[in-house]
Amino acid sequence: MKPLLGTFYLLGMLVPGWLGYDRSLTQQRQEVVDKVVSPWRILETYSYNRYHPMGEIYQWMSEIREKYTEVVTQHFLGMTYESRPMYYLKISQPSSNPKKIIWMDCGIHAREWIAPAFCQWFVKEILQNYEDNSRIRRLLKNLDFYVLPVFNIDGYIYTWTTDRLWRKSRSSHNNGTCFGTDLNRNFDASWCSIGASHNCESLTFCGMGPMSEPETKAVSSFIESKKENIACFLTMHSYGQLILVPYGYTKNKSNNHEELIQVGQKAANALKAKHGTNYRVGSSADILYATSGSSRDWARDIGIPFSYTFELRDNGTYGFVLPETQIQATCEETMEAVLSVLDDVYEKYWYTNSARKAKSTALVLSLLMSFMSLL
Amino acid sequence: MQLRRQPLSAPRPGDTRPAAQRLAVPLLLLLALQGAAASGGPEDSGWLQDAEPSSRLLSQAARAALHFFNFRAASPSALQVLANVLDGRSWVNQKKEYKFDLVFTTEFYSAEEGEKRLGKCSAQVFFRNEKPRPAVNVTCTQLVKKERRQEEDYQLYKLMKQLKSPLNAVSIPDSHGYIAPSLRPIWDLAFLGSSYVMWQKSTPFLHYYMSQISSVKQWKTNDDAIDFDYTVLLHEFSTQEIIPCRIHLVWYPSKPLKVKYHCQERQTPEEASGTEEGSAVALTELSNF
Repeated sequence: MKPLLGTFYLLGMLVPGWLGYDRSLTQQRQEVVDKVVSPWRILETYSYNRYHPMGEIYQWMSEIREKYTEVVTQHFLGMTYESRPMYYLKISQPSSNPKKIIWMDCGIHAREWIAPAFCQWFVKEILQNYEDNSRIRRLLKNLDFYVLPVFNIDGYIYTWTTDRLWRKSRSSHNNGTCFGTDLNRNFDASWCSIGASHNCESLTFCGMGPMSEPETKAVSSFIESKKENIACFLTMHSYGQLILVPYGYTKNKSNNHEELIQVGQKAANALKAKHGTNYRVGSSADILYATSGSSRDWARDIGIPFSYTFELRDNGTYGFVLPETQIQATCEETMEAVLSVLDDVYEKYWYTNSARKAKSTALVLSLLMSFMSLL
Repeated sequence: MQLRRQPLSAPRPGDTRPAAQRLAVPLLLLLALQGAAASGGPEDSGWLQDAEPSSRLLSQAARAALHFFNFRAASPSALQVLANVLDGRSWVNQKKEYKFDLVFTTEFYSAEEGEKRLGKCSAQVFFRNEKPRPAVNVTCTQLVKKERRQEEDYQLYKLMKQLKSPLNAVSIPDSHGYIAPSLRPIWDLAFLGSSYVMWQKSTPFLHYYMSQISSVKQWKTNDDAIDFDYTVLLHEFSTQEIIPCRIHLVWYPSKPLKVKYHCQERQTPEEASGTEEGSAVALTELSNF
């Protein structure tokens, strides 16, 4: 896998613009040479307070995996429309304990740059602190983190090379006259029923059919295959400062709505305690607008109990073009919110698990007793 | 109904309302509260009060009111954004027109990190079908004394006069959200002009934010006023569209803002455009424009 990745990256560097930045060929070759010589070069000086183009994010993933090899593995999900590989990072403390999965994806909408920045921050925080921080250590005992730093890779690159405010994917439609599907309208959750458009020109174009896009297929088939073990599905967006619970396609509420709100509100309080930022909590249909085909609604409907959309900073002042000077504060406060959710998920799972163990032990004992009394 | 009677094209700051108008709103509220199903006088027009006004709708109406407020104040140093809606009531009639009665808090648009001073506004907002732009009646507590605001505007104006033409600035902010400190006054002035456009375009279901200045066509400071011709990208909720709008404004501190605009609509065939002098003394000043 490693030599393959290396070759891939080399190829990427040699094709100008392919991995998303415009540099001269000579400069690229020099960087390739530097990188081969010093494998952890990018990680040593990687700034989590800046936005990074896709090429750097690919390399960051690779180096993270190399450096934290005892807990991190990198996995292939599928190819994007423009034939780029989609990878997620799995952070897992090896143990014989049963594990539940926490899924986090960022950047399903290309222009929401703060989201991939948060995914990287999250990974960094977990890995830099899991050994000394008891809170994170506890979470890793029974939870595995699966992080997809950029969902819409083609779109993300497009925002770096061509149009900073692009939102959709880069799939081609109508004989090459129109581009892009809104990946967050493409999931099979009341697909295209409301808040989405059948018209490719629209920014909420739902695609040719549910799960029509390769990116959607890649993520959904993976999630589907692991759904029994996924406790929590988090999808990160911007902007609006909201924690959204299902549903967008109906005003009806999920059967665990009260619990989702409670956990969400606790997370919003933890977030506010950090830098005073106000987040609102509610169902998408109630506090945002009606949408169909969202990944969050789909995740809930296939049975994943905790499914949230986070809309990060800000409230409209800079919107999608959030200044880099705000990355740190945004990530710090969001980290508090996510950890709060994870604590609640952990406690629910661990409590249920131990309670279940106690109940089953009691059952076995009582059966034994009644059997023995029959003798 | 008071809002219908108010002349739209000539907002007059400092206008005192006659006693009859001041009584009309609370009276109307009383009528509405007693149950709009009962037919009232000709003023009633079948208004049904929403028992549980959606917070989203209330926020949208508050934003529309604030866009109008910012435009009318014409003060780039004292632009306000919505903080929280404290209280709100909404009514809808058979024609699917909406009106709102709101109390909300505001903060400074260009607040430094950590600086949190809240203003408070009360507003009535009326979205009619014939004229898309909402009729707004809004009063806000003075966050900054008038003299201080005028002085800060004048300081901004002096800074702007010193600016070499920023025609080569590709976009403000850049992709990383960075605005060079010297270009900051341009951003504030652009937001002021955009406020007029966003007020005009707001409906109960569409609201706007200014995303980026995508180009500057002209920046002139002769004849004392700032003559600013630029294209701004507005983010339209909930279609998620980015609407480019060409805006041409003329500003001088403490004078009403003059603005013309033309937006490129992608979905609808007709394009929205408009002109506003923002002043009772319309014609003579328009000829200079």
